[in-house]
Amino acid sequence: MEKLVQLWTASGIYNISGGQCIMILVGMVLLYLAIKKNFEPLLLVPIGFGGIMANIPEAGMAYSAVENAVHFAKPEVLSALAGALSITSLDPHDILHAYHSAGAVAHAAAVNIASDAGYMNGMMYNFYTVAIASGAAPLLIFMGVGAMTDFGPLLANPKTLFLGAAAQFGIFATIMGAVGLTALGIMDFNIQEAAAIGIIGGADGPTAIYVTTLLAPHLLGAIAVAAYSYMALVPLIQPPIMRALTTEAERKIAMKQLRHVSKTEKIMFPIVLLILVALLLPDAAPLLGMFCFGNLMRECGVVDRLSDTAQNALINIVTIFLGLSVGSKLSADKFLDFQTLGILALGIVAFGIGTACGVLMAKFMNKLAGGDSINPLIGSAGVSAVPMAARVSNKLGLEANPQNFLLMHAMGPNVAGVIGSAVAAGVMIKFVG
Amino acid sequence: MDNLLSEGLSLLVFGMGFVFVFLTLLVISTNFMSKFVGKLFPEAPPVPKKKPVAAAAAAGNNQDELIAVMTAAVHKYRGK
Repeated sequence: MEKLVQLWTASGIYNISGGQCIMILVGMVLLYLAIKKNFEPLLLVPIGFGGIMANIPEAGMAYSAVENAVHFAKPEVLSALAGALSITSLDPHDILHAYHSAGAVAHAAAVNIASDAGYMNGMMYNFYTVAIASGAAPLLIFMGVGAMTDFGPLLANPKTLFLGAAAQFGIFATIMGAVGLTALGIMDFNIQEAAAIGIIGGADGPTAIYVTTLLAPHLLGAIAVAAYSYMALVPLIQPPIMRALTTEAERKIAMKQLRHVSKTEKIMFPIVLLILVALLLPDAAPLLGMFCFGNLMRECGVVDRLSDTAQNALINIVTIFLGLSVGSKLSADKFLDFQTLGILALGIVAFGIGTACGVLMAKFMNKLAGGDSINPLIGSAGVSAVPMAARVSNKLGLEANPQNFLLMHAMGPNVAGVIGSAVAAGVMIKFVG
Repeated sequence: MDNLLSEGLSLLVFGMGFVFVFLTLLVISTNFMSKFVGKLFPEAPPVPKKKPVAAAAAAGNNQDELIAVMTAAVHKYRGK
């Protein structure tokens, strides 16, 4: 009978909390969106499944050794931990609080006590430490994205870089939104959190994850989920805004064929970009450096094997770990919060403003040049979200004029948006990091 | 609160300003680089694609020759 009670008290049903139940449901919803609705499945399947695993009661997969030790609360371990952290209370909450604010020596002592007592870091906690906390996974993905990016359309028409710059206004407007909500007393964000939320508007998953890890790691789950789900929603979010801001005649503008770009130009571009980053904004160097490296491997033509690995095998491996690590941050105490609702709402506003600014900038450039050289529809592609946003521009262009293929023209602002959001990320890390 | 608002505002102005300055410089340096590359390393004019055609034709000839030889061999064999 005693054994039976022991089994029962160790079971998931006995231990599960309401929050964990809800988070497991959230994980299921993410899986549903990924599998059934095809929302960024490459990311949302690992994130959703990771979210479910992180909330399995008693398994402690998303917790560190000390957190697991405190959770199981053996009195002798608790008193040893309290001694190491030099507090008198044996209350688990107090110990965790002391642990998180402890200095390096006390921190290491607590970790040693926990591992001596036989507690280990959860698997997903280890993944998170290696893949995200170190910054490695988002940067490796950025290298893969660089290896997949063709800068040809951008080099043929460099002024489309301005569209990529304008669309970054979404990021900064959203920061103002988050700050404004705090000033009105509706939400409570500090400036780091506001900046991390704003970066959702960059529509660039790895950039968003990188910036959030540096500025507000506790919001990572909500921000990554918002960024990837809204990227999947680009074909729904953008078209109404693009239609509202352009006239039928503007949507019909046909753009002239892009010039041929030589191989040497394509090889030189990542180097020019890297030099510019090195001179002006070293804080963006990790992101743009890896991006340029990936692109140089693609274009130089002598390391096809490396380029192939970066854009296929490696990016796939890293995506698995990145997804599971983000999922490990979907724990009930961090995600089920009023702040998450605010993040989701602000994120979609960021996308909308970015799209609108890109389109308006294209119209403004047409006015300035006094001609109809740019179809404003390609402006919306400045929000990055490669290549989804460019496809949306192409689709709307074809609706207005079935002979008008804008895809290649839209790829210019699209990759400019990637550079733009990485620059914006560097600026924010510089100012508030 | 006011402090937070002004921090946000300065982030907006400086951040957006910097993104524009950076990308403007990138436009300028890209244009410069393209001109430079165009002058110093002009791309060789596209090689006329005669070679592969000739090769294919040669392959075709070989094929014909082969068939002729084989037909002859078969005839000889049957003629025995």
